[in-house]
Amino acid sequence: MTARSAPSIKRRRTASANAPDWRNALFVAPYLFFFVTLLVFPLFWGIWLSFHKADIFTNGPFIGLGNYLRLFNDAVFLQSVGNTFYFVLLTVPTLALLGLFLALSLNSNSRLATILRGLFFSSSVLSVTIVTLIWRFVFIPQYGLLSAIYKLFGSEVPSFLTDPNLAMIAIAITTIWWCIGLPMMLFLAALQQIPADIYEAAALDNASRWRTLISITLPSIRRTFVLVVIIQIVMQFQLFGQAWLMTRGGPNNTTRAIVLHIYDLAFRRWDVGMGAAASEVLFVLILAAATIQFLTSRSAGDRS
Amino acid sequence: MTAEIDIRNVSKSYGPLKVIENLSLSIPAHEFVVFLGPSGCGKSTLLRMIAGLEGIDDGEILINGERVDPLPPGKRGLAMVFQSYALYPHMTVRQNMAFGLENLATPAPVIAERIAAAARMLEIDHLLDRKPGQLSGGQRQRVAIGRAVVKEPKAFLFDEPLSNLDAALRARTRIEIAQLHQRLRATMIFVTHDQIEAMTLAERIVVMNNRRIEQIGPPMEIYDQPATRFVASFVGTPQMNFFDVRGATGSQIRLDGTLSLSTRVDPIDAGRAAALGIRCEAVRVTGEGQGDADGVIDVLERLGDRALAHVRLPGGQTVIANEIAQTKLRVGDRVGLGFDGAKAHLFDAAGVALPLRSAP
Amino acid sequence: MSARSTPGAARRGFGDHIILVAVLALSIAMIAPALWVIGLSLKDNHEVMANPNSVFHPPYIIDNYVNILYGGGVLRWILNSLIVSVGLTFGTLLLSSLAGYGFARLDFPGRNILFIVVLFGLAVPEQAVIVARHQIFSLLKFHNTYHGIILPGLSNAFGVFLMTQYFRAIPKELDEAALIDNASRFKIFWKVLLPLTLPAQATLGIFTFLLSWNDYFWPLISATEKNMYTLTVGMASMQVNFAQSEGVGFLMAQAVFAGAPIFIVYLFFQKYIVTAVSGAAVR
Repeated sequence: MTARSAPSIKRRRTASANAPDWRNALFVAPYLFFFVTLLVFPLFWGIWLSFHKADIFTNGPFIGLGNYLRLFNDAVFLQSVGNTFYFVLLTVPTLALLGLFLALSLNSNSRLATILRGLFFSSSVLSVTIVTLIWRFVFIPQYGLLSAIYKLFGSEVPSFLTDPNLAMIAIAITTIWWCIGLPMMLFLAALQQIPADIYEAAALDNASRWRTLISITLPSIRRTFVLVVIIQIVMQFQLFGQAWLMTRGGPNNTTRAIVLHIYDLAFRRWDVGMGAAASEVLFVLILAAATIQFLTSRSAGDRS
Repeated sequence: MTAEIDIRNVSKSYGPLKVIENLSLSIPAHEFVVFLGPSGCGKSTLLRMIAGLEGIDDGEILINGERVDPLPPGKRGLAMVFQSYALYPHMTVRQNMAFGLENLATPAPVIAERIAAAARMLEIDHLLDRKPGQLSGGQRQRVAIGRAVVKEPKAFLFDEPLSNLDAALRARTRIEIAQLHQRLRATMIFVTHDQIEAMTLAERIVVMNNRRIEQIGPPMEIYDQPATRFVASFVGTPQMNFFDVRGATGSQIRLDGTLSLSTRVDPIDAGRAAALGIRCEAVRVTGEGQGDADGVIDVLERLGDRALAHVRLPGGQTVIANEIAQTKLRVGDRVGLGFDGAKAHLFDAAGVALPLRSAP
Repeated sequence: MSARSTPGAARRGFGDHIILVAVLALSIAMIAPALWVIGLSLKDNHEVMANPNSVFHPPYIIDNYVNILYGGGVLRWILNSLIVSVGLTFGTLLLSSLAGYGFARLDFPGRNILFIVVLFGLAVPEQAVIVARHQIFSLLKFHNTYHGIILPGLSNAFGVFLMTQYFRAIPKELDEAALIDNASRFKIFWKVLLPLTLPAQATLGIFTFLLSWNDYFWPLISATEKNMYTLTVGMASMQVNFAQSEGVGFLMAQAVFAGAPIFIVYLFFQKYIVTAVSGAAVR
């Protein structure tokens, strides 16, 4: 090869079309701007706020863990944590199991199944205000739907929303009616992923319907089940609208959810520091609950 | 408008893995050169380096004497036909073909004229307003070629363009590409793992293995005078028969058992011979005891125009020999094999071919 | 039941009937509240208050719906919700598409780390940032403005995640062919790849619209003036004084009126909505 006269500098070249180039970052820059200013920054500011005695206008003195200590000494706050746990316990298993049942029952192409699937999912597109409006009136004594039904059987409906023992249950029922669509859809998607030939093999092996369900169907959707539970835990921990609109947190704070407490602290009493602290506690609780759920499901035999 | 391409001492690494090392190659203008080799040999990487889709870490690439390696792909004046055609699915054929020229600010009348000419040549004018999704595989292939043709590039790059076609279509398109080259006389670089495509299309073949060039030469030279054992085994169907060399006396090479062939190797080199290769067309099936060795027919493949007899020797090795189509041989027959030693190739322990004296 | 070719058909029977009954019972439980509310909305207020059971028989009137158009701020609230939701949807589609392309196809320093950070953003619940956001917006005087309600939604990472996955699935050869065709990176994005993402755009668009339309917490604390209420906030404010003011029938009519548009959207775009919501959750 004859040498060319032009001096050739042999160093690392980046003429490749796929080489890293900071100008490419311009594509993600617009989104990142909003991400940083509206998510990252407020996240850290919120943590910072929680360490101060702050109100709406001024960020008061630094008080370290003062807000947190007050929170954990506040019986109402602790009650709200307890209420929220109770609510999660009421709704999450029900949503998961009911969703699974519906998915199993409605996993067919028949006209009826398709219509019913649409029906069960339709409530999920409504806003919380409409849902609570509907269900307040279902529960209302004397005029409500439940009242009419109870009267059919000759008895009087208990006043769900004003009975400390029943209020949370009423909210749970409302929430289940509202949210059942998503778990059902997720399970349906998972069921449809199971290859048909597994069922055929089971049929040839003379497995009964029940056996097929227990030994073949359910194990195949184990991952989805865990996913549904985690999602619902995260969602239902954030209970707000139903509790605020149906019972205002009462009676006797029995339906006071954590987020309700945050709302009250930060936007009604303007104790912004406390509100921030409470919201950080919620964040940690959600993260912990989801992680625990995830880990226990993993260690409990992740054979797949 | 066509160009010569010069690749000088290029190297490329992915982290610690050296993918291409100090490779040099010169492609004169108008030539149809084929990069041939098995998967992973580096032929596609080399093509993409020429195109600019992969960077090079060392060395230079020149087109018509000018350095192109610092330039982005769009500015090198090349056109590429991809294995999966890579047509823009939401654009019509016409828009697909116009896209590249529009990016170069070519005036609209010129674009229209070039598209019309290319469409006529490739017989796709009736498809210009359809979308790729409505075309068959063969039609899409021609649109991909058309998209390259309208750019009037300095060189055409083909990245295994026939792999996605069925056998009949592949043969037809092969011919069309050959005709395209004759019409345009443009420099074309064609990458494939199929040696039949290489043999039929190339003016020169670059045989690659394990990221190195094994041999460069016209097809018949590659076939008749393979430079390495790899080239000898890769080109030619069925594969060349190979034997271990047990010893040499002058030009007489001893193989397993009593088999011994008179070859054209120079006695000086004969001592280095480690393997002997002979193609099936140089092996005849004879009667038992009438050839250089005896064996049993294991498999008989009838191809229609000829037959291939797989003969198992006593040592266990199988030799493939050519037979006429109407052969009366059957599996299990005991036969003899006659070898034309003059057509044998010899390789040293490193796989390099030993020089042969010219045929008498 | 005559034996059919489907395996297990012969064993159908009692269990199946129970399931059917259970499902139908649940279906009735699902639809009853809605039907009842619709019934209430079609009755005269006084009649219902006097005799609750009058819901079940005629006469049915549409006066309540007529009154909606005259009184209250429902129409204004719907307009606000529309502006906010459409604005957020457009903004999200644009930002997420750009960012999705950037993360999926382009390389720049710190790309992988940035992507993981964005992914972590999905784990942060709204409440952890809402107090700070409120304070920031107070300082910036963004409350009771349209942009004030829209902006927080733009930081949602779900759209970026969805679009990145989608862009990744498009064969890279298209980019390469366009590169050889001398197209700039932006041109590749705008003319070659973006048109191929229409299904994802539809899914993301509908999902974002729905989420924004039904959002309650943030508009509640940011839009405190009556004329800036979104539909959810406005409807909630009506609930408070239902007993005194317009009456049960009217209230129910408002609920139906507010819920109907979204319901119709659901009926038409059922497929997309289900895909979007399922996809969102599986993130």
